[in-house]
Amino acid sequence: MFELFHAMMKEEWRIHSTMFGSVSFALFPVMIFGIAFMGAFLVPLMQTTMPAGNLALTIHGSYLMLGIMVGGFGLLGSEVMNRRFGQANLLAYSARSLPLTGQFIFANFVVKDTVYYFFLWVFPFGFGYLAASPFTGVPLAGALLLILTLALAFLFGLCTVFFLSTVYARLRVAFWLLLLALCAGGGALVVLTGINPVLLFPPLLIYHAFSWIGLVATCILLVLLFGVSIALFSPESVGSEKRHHDLYRSLVQRLAFLPDPTLAAKDVIDMYRSGSLIGQALFSFVLPLAVIWFFLSLLAPAFPPHGLLLMFAIVAGIIASTMYTWVTMFDSFGPYACLPVAVSRLIAGKLTTFALLQVLPALFIAAVAVLAGETAYLVPAVVLGLSVSFYAVAVMAWLAGLSPNVLVYDVKVLFLYMVLVGIAIILFTAVAFAEPYAALGSVILLIPAWLFVQKAKARWDAVDPAGF
Amino acid sequence: MAGYGLQRSDGMTIVLESRDLSKNYGDVQAVKSVSLSVEEGALFGLLGPNGSGKTTMIKMLTGQARPSGGSATVLGVDVTSDPVGVRSRVGIIPEQETPPSFLTAMEYLRFVAAIRQIPEIETKADWWFEFLDFADKKDVLCKDLSRGTRQKLMFTQAFIHEPALALIDEPLINFDPIMQDVVKEYLAGYVKKGRTIFISTHILEVAEEICSGFAILHKGSLLHTGPVSELTGRGEHLPSFFLALVRKDRHV
Repeated sequence: MFELFHAMMKEEWRIHSTMFGSVSFALFPVMIFGIAFMGAFLVPLMQTTMPAGNLALTIHGSYLMLGIMVGGFGLLGSEVMNRRFGQANLLAYSARSLPLTGQFIFANFVVKDTVYYFFLWVFPFGFGYLAASPFTGVPLAGALLLILTLALAFLFGLCTVFFLSTVYARLRVAFWLLLLALCAGGGALVVLTGINPVLLFPPLLIYHAFSWIGLVATCILLVLLFGVSIALFSPESVGSEKRHHDLYRSLVQRLAFLPDPTLAAKDVIDMYRSGSLIGQALFSFVLPLAVIWFFLSLLAPAFPPHGLLLMFAIVAGIIASTMYTWVTMFDSFGPYACLPVAVSRLIAGKLTTFALLQVLPALFIAAVAVLAGETAYLVPAVVLGLSVSFYAVAVMAWLAGLSPNVLVYDVKVLFLYMVLVGIAIILFTAVAFAEPYAALGSVILLIPAWLFVQKAKARWDAVDPAGF
Repeated sequence: MAGYGLQRSDGMTIVLESRDLSKNYGDVQAVKSVSLSVEEGALFGLLGPNGSGKTTMIKMLTGQARPSGGSATVLGVDVTSDPVGVRSRVGIIPEQETPPSFLTAMEYLRFVAAIRQIPEIETKADWWFEFLDFADKKDVLCKDLSRGTRQKLMFTQAFIHEPALALIDEPLINFDPIMQDVVKEYLAGYVKKGRTIFISTHILEVAEEICSGFAILHKGSLLHTGPVSELTGRGEHLPSFFLALVRKDRHV
């Protein structure tokens, strides 16, 4: 029963440890532990400006977000089962020759990924906080409770998006109706009671007032969401031979204003036909940012006037920078290896498509500014969000080339990314909080962004193209 | 073909040449100081058992992998300093690579044509669809094509610009016997036009049937290189020669 799961766990470990070395990969959770451990000593300091409740809210919100960002299994399910990103030799694909159902293999794959994420991100963070508790005066029980509720927050995000993305992949109409119902319910709650829906987030409720009933009810809900998602999952059959209209020729003509329409047209087709253009936009952008808005709005009293919108713009910029992973997830360098294309040209092409996608965060930030009644700060907010996004993606391209989804687990890559992006965020948060219009100065980030892109091109042209 | 490759003193043009070419992956020496040359108009076979370094050789010769030592030129272009220049002049069928998942077969050929700046792609693509008998699959996504059809598409992209030199890793893999025959005939006709083909294979019977020259690679080292006629002239067959040489090397 557990043989497949065990083999998939070993496979995942070996993939990463082969790429980065066993020690380097094993250091990844150690780094997360270290960040949490040292961060715990800042808690008393932070509590002088931010109430403890707000801090708990921020951490739970971050873990919910992590779950949401990785939970779109329903979108990628068919790719995973048929040919995960070109690696047809993985067990998720090859195990189909065994007498096992597709659902069983997929369930093992999802659980394996969840366990991996848990031990790479969730557990080390909670454990770091726990290890620091004797020194920071935080009661042991409180630290243990935090580990539990952070895990629940992560699983809540993951299972909810897994469920929604599976419904989306299976039946679009049902998905939109469900989303409409959820929005209407949330909206009614806000309008009728004035309660922010975040305050009813089960892991947060358990953290503030632990009860066994609440814990059991939350677990049942998570199991239900997971079970229904697996039951609804239906991998697309290979070799369906459905015919498609030729989109490429007309798209190249429409995108002729871009520096490399040849590559951009292919990226757009990849995203459109895989369903991820709308799917990723929903599950990796709009949904996380909507949740972030509700979380941040609870923290608004701790921000200076207009700080909420500008803080939101910065977070939106960071999330928007992950759109680079949308355009790099469909192909490694492999399919281009037989063509006269350098890695630097591909990086430039992917960044061009990324730039096209930035219309979405620009519109989203603008819409939030209008809805929040902060139209006066619409321009600084959009400029700030986009500048952060372009800067963060340039750092990502320099550090990870065409494989950001894979190389993020290289501890050196993640550490450098966090330092380089963290410095820019802290600097421009301070600037924007001091004077909202000074956020316009964030365009200066485009200079280091350009330099990082040039360095990325030179760096990744100088090494053998990665096959992942 | 004037202007390509290096003119030798005997008047023959060398289109591909490696000197002490080596490749290390960590502690593993995949290719060890291989020196060989291929003349214009040859159908040259790089032979060797699994894991002998054939694919690594092709990767280095097409600028997909950087040599750890030595040098190589393909059609007069240095593979290390100008890998993209090499790939723009040759046709390549990599070992396992498949065309991009979400493009149709026709869209993929348009994509290749746009990158290689091939004119009149519609007419050329239609000829290939008919020639390799997969016109009914031109609007199917590459991810939904069978392995054989994908191989036909990869074959098409490698030859559609009629390169002076094509490098093919296992040319007949995934093809049915009828298609193998069509492809063998095409390759033979292609070199008759003065162009060159470099194949890597471990199917020795095919190599003996279609190749004019060959090299045997074992554990990354070159054991032998020469014309096939040299063997057949003395009544030997390539498979038995190959097996004897590799077994002897294993024993050593």
